[in-house]
Amino acid sequence: MARPRKVFYRRRKVCKFCADKIDYIDYKDVKLLQQFVPERSKILPRRISGTCARHQRLLQQAIKRARHLALIPFTTD
Amino acid sequence: MRIYELTFIVDPRVADEDVVAMTQEYKQMIAAGGSTISKEESWGRRKLAYPIEKLNEGKYVLLGIESEDGRTSLPEVEHRMRQNDKILRYLTVRIDEDLKRAAAKHPPAPAAAPGTPAPGEPAPPAEAAGEGA
Repeated sequence: MARPRKVFYRRRKVCKFCADKIDYIDYKDVKLLQQFVPERSKILPRRISGTCARHQRLLQQAIKRARHLALIPFTTD
Repeated sequence: MRIYELTFIVDPRVADEDVVAMTQEYKQMIAAGGSTISKEESWGRRKLAYPIEKLNEGKYVLLGIESEDGRTSLPEVEHRMRQNDKILRYLTVRIDEDLKRAAAKHPPAPAAAPGTPAPGEPAPPAEAAGEGA
């Protein structure tokens, strides 16, 4: 009964910061941060981006700092 | 040693010379508090991501500050900035701990001590990716 089993696959998400060995997420690096704030300017959740917990925490901090300095928006209307 | 970064946004209607003069004043205050200025960056006129006080642009200045004993005049500087309505925003961040942590995780290149074999073998040749099309 060699029924072809349905193969599921999901691309394995890897934390971008781990892969790139970034240990300090700079709030001034707008280009980098923007990858994690899609159109609505909400912070991209871990479950989507695959960022590890530690880096998500650092990222969150950096995004909030950047927002304070008007480098990235809080929201888009 | 503590390292801080102080970034502030100045009203774009303020002339560049005056921005320099203001920066100079803050630098003097910081120096008077016993810290040294390790970095100074002026990003110039930059578009704000959202309007602040109905302004769409601002002039950004960043100061890197190092304090040997952890005593600084930053609270006074911040107080002055709050009172100055030409300063749209400021942000002081202490970064030495984060930088130290980052350096501990991935030390910069010239850390290879002689006689220490590099951990981990050289990158293996790319294996056949497990992902079919």
